[in-house]
Amino acid sequence: MACLPLANIFARKTRTTISVLAVGVGVALFLVLVGLTSMLREIADRTTNVQAHLMVWPASDQVVLSGGLPADKVQGDLKAIPGVARAVAVLRWPLKMAGRVQNVYGIRPEDWDLFAGPDRMVEGRALKGGDEMVIDTRLARAGGYRLGDAVERWGHRFTIVGIAREGIAGRVFLPIETVSRATDQDRLRASFFYVRVARPADVQPVRQAIEERGLRAITFDEYYDVLAGSFVDMNLVIGSVVFVAGFVCFLVILLTVYTMVIERTREIGVLKAMGASRAQVFGLVMAEAGLICAAGIVAGFLLTWGSRALILDLQPLWTVDIPAVRFAYAAALAAGGTALGALHPARRAARQDPVESLRYE
Amino acid sequence: METILEARGLTKVYHTGAAPTAALRGVDLAVRRGEFVSVMGPSGCGKSTLLYLLGLLATPTEGTVILANTDTGAISDGRRTLLRRHHVGFVFQRFNLLAALSAEENVALALRLRHEAVQSRAREMLAAVGLDDERRRRPGELSVGEQQRVAIARALVTRPDVLLADEPTGNLDSEASERVLDLIGRFHQQSGQTVVLITHNEKVAERAERLVRMRDGRIAGN
Repeated sequence: MACLPLANIFARKTRTTISVLAVGVGVALFLVLVGLTSMLREIADRTTNVQAHLMVWPASDQVVLSGGLPADKVQGDLKAIPGVARAVAVLRWPLKMAGRVQNVYGIRPEDWDLFAGPDRMVEGRALKGGDEMVIDTRLARAGGYRLGDAVERWGHRFTIVGIAREGIAGRVFLPIETVSRATDQDRLRASFFYVRVARPADVQPVRQAIEERGLRAITFDEYYDVLAGSFVDMNLVIGSVVFVAGFVCFLVILLTVYTMVIERTREIGVLKAMGASRAQVFGLVMAEAGLICAAGIVAGFLLTWGSRALILDLQPLWTVDIPAVRFAYAAALAAGGTALGALHPARRAARQDPVESLRYE
Repeated sequence: METILEARGLTKVYHTGAAPTAALRGVDLAVRRGEFVSVMGPSGCGKSTLLYLLGLLATPTEGTVILANTDTGAISDGRRTLLRRHHVGFVFQRFNLLAALSAEENVALALRLRHEAVQSRAREMLAAVGLDDERRRRPGELSVGEQQRVAIARALVTRPDVLLADEPTGNLDSEASERVLDLIGRFHQQSGQTVVLITHNEKVAERAERLVRMRDGRIAGN
């Protein structure tokens, strides 16, 4: 019995190929989109990969958007709160490098230790001041930057003095004074602050004290939710793609198997004449759909692998991480769509009247 | 000899058109084990309907079929399937081989449905019908005569109690017809295979030990 579904799908190579590809596209669509959403996680992971406990920014902002806080005054206020060990001002500003807009992290050079230890430096050294720039390895790779290269922006000529292993908060670091001056700020401003508390137990009291001063303070654990919340339609998009991917599998399998059942009406009659039970006929049809689905899943994985490689080649700064569990989820989605799609035609085949089937022209 | 297959008062009425059509009207027929029976009659006389009822592919409107000492009148569809699988082999006018499978796989399929070992028996059966060399060919690559011989091998590989053949030579030329009838005759004589053969051809019917004539859904002569 095992050979019949296999023989049938090989007997209709074009239809099988199209069906397999359609299932594969559904699987790949789902996986690539899920992979692309990992960019958000990567940004959140980087942003919170700092030796601090809280992020602070103006209460009026949903996320860090502006350079609206007076750096020295707010820093002084934060340091005055009992339990605060350090308050680090960051002026985040867009700068185009490697063909894409990067968020420059303007920081005081003495605060570098909160962002990366000495072992994080792959080449060169940390910031000291002036028109110095530190970038991460990923940006260096994407833009072809090397230690000592000059980068001309905002009418300044920045020199890359260090390259740090990727995973640090920003891809580009400059001294905060340099960013402030280069972007024509009237005084030193900050987009947000990292706050390190003396003891972990101080986090909540410090947070409360900060919020009493009209600022927003969130823990790193909350940051991903805040970031995801700024992409309010993301879950809707993911949900839509999951639905489309599942529906594509369902529709393709339904049409394929339905056509197959109609086309093989006589054969089903013959099988019944030979003593095939309803369950056996049902099983044969489902097995054929299952084989198409299995091949479609494999094709989908290959398409995903190819698409991911292509995306990363074209956009090296993008992140397309797909955890193994998502592959299992995609396979389950395709299998579910297939089972639903094949169910009706398989039942129809199983219930076909053998005499009518044998007389079918 | 025991009766292996019996029809008692078989009536079959179809309700497909405006008025009900009676294809069979109270047919009684008993086939003994090892017997070769031809059922002959003009088109539309109910021969094929009788065959489908005898092979448990259809259920009668009235009457019953007794196959291998089992009265099939009140048994479930699943049991009818099992009885058919274990006791009946079919040969059709249009061969009805599965196009995607080779000759050997077509024959083996009948065994696979019974969860039996397949390889050697399928080959032996193909050799018995003279097609050992053609076993890897698909139906489309065989002549019509060869296709019907594969169909006979498929029907007999499970060693059924009864072989039901519906116009097995209807699509064949005279030479291929002779060969197929010789083959059926040989299985009957050598292995004692019970055969019920439906035909409208007098010469084909004469091959049997017993000739049953049908007309207008009734047995007209036995």
